[in-house]
Amino acid sequence: MVRFKNRYVLCEVVSEDPRCRQCIEDRALGLAVRDAIARVHGDYGLACCSISFTVKYLNAYTGTVLLRCRKDSYRLLCSALPFVRYLESRAQRYPCFLNTLHVGGTIRTCQKFLIQYNRTQLLRLLQNCTNEEERQCIQKSLLSCSLTEEQSQSGDEEEDDDTE
Amino acid sequence: RAERGMAAAAAFERRVLQCAAEHHYLRVRLELPDGGARPNAAQFKQLVVTALRELHGEVGAALPVDVLTYEEKTLSAILRVISSGLVKLWSALTLLGFCQNRKCAFRVLQTSPFLLALSGNSRELVL
Repeated sequence: MVRFKNRYVLCEVVSEDPRCRQCIEDRALGLAVRDAIARVHGDYGLACCSISFTVKYLNAYTGTVLLRCRKDSYRLLCSALPFVRYLESRAQRYPCFLNTLHVGGTIRTCQKFLIQYNRTQLLRLLQNCTNEEERQCIQKSLLSCSLTEEQSQSGDEEEDDDTE
Repeated sequence: RAERGMAAAAAFERRVLQCAAEHHYLRVRLELPDGGARPNAAQFKQLVVTALRELHGEVGAALPVDVLTYEEKTLSAILRVISSGLVKLWSALTLLGFCQNRKCAFRVLQTSPFLLALSGNSRELVL
């Protein structure tokens, strides 16, 4: 069978500035990544990677980003991600960097990985808690996460609540 | 009998190398139809690196390219590049249109993985 194969790159936006969370939006991020590819790989690289390039999923609370590109050019994309130094939106520039977590062939595999990763991250946050009330808060939110019948099946398996 | 013993001991091994040479050499000529100041050797190298940077970005500009000889009168040069970077270099030279706001063009006259092959050109043979 001949079909177009894509690669989905799961990354996490890490920034020291808390205001950076507000400006994580798909257009700003897409422009920043495209700009980095143009700088690192030139016109040819930009054209190669832009064929099927979109920001598929974005979570501003946890800074999780899912990018899609063609299978032939995912190496160009992955090698250009460390060169994203700042996000710009509404004439404000916030320094940040992108951590690549996982590269998968379908959205489903990336989602499975993200669920696993979020579970381990929550446990690690629980261990790093300094005071008792934060600990109680996290424990309560962990225990209250459940899959309810009326909400859609795929979206709620991810336990990405705001743990700040 | 001694020969047969030796032949049995030596294993038969066959190696096929697709592209054994590590460098490729190109003879190029720069054409400036509008005339003007001719670039010197350093400016010529800068031009080649600029072409690579435009088409292939910082990764392309970091490709190890050497200008082995350069003649300012005829604007022709011999370039050496790592074999894996030949396609990037040639495509970048082809698509370079402007040199300091003047129109320019690179013509690739000869290319070979061996430098000795660039010394003779059967196209310019005078019979």
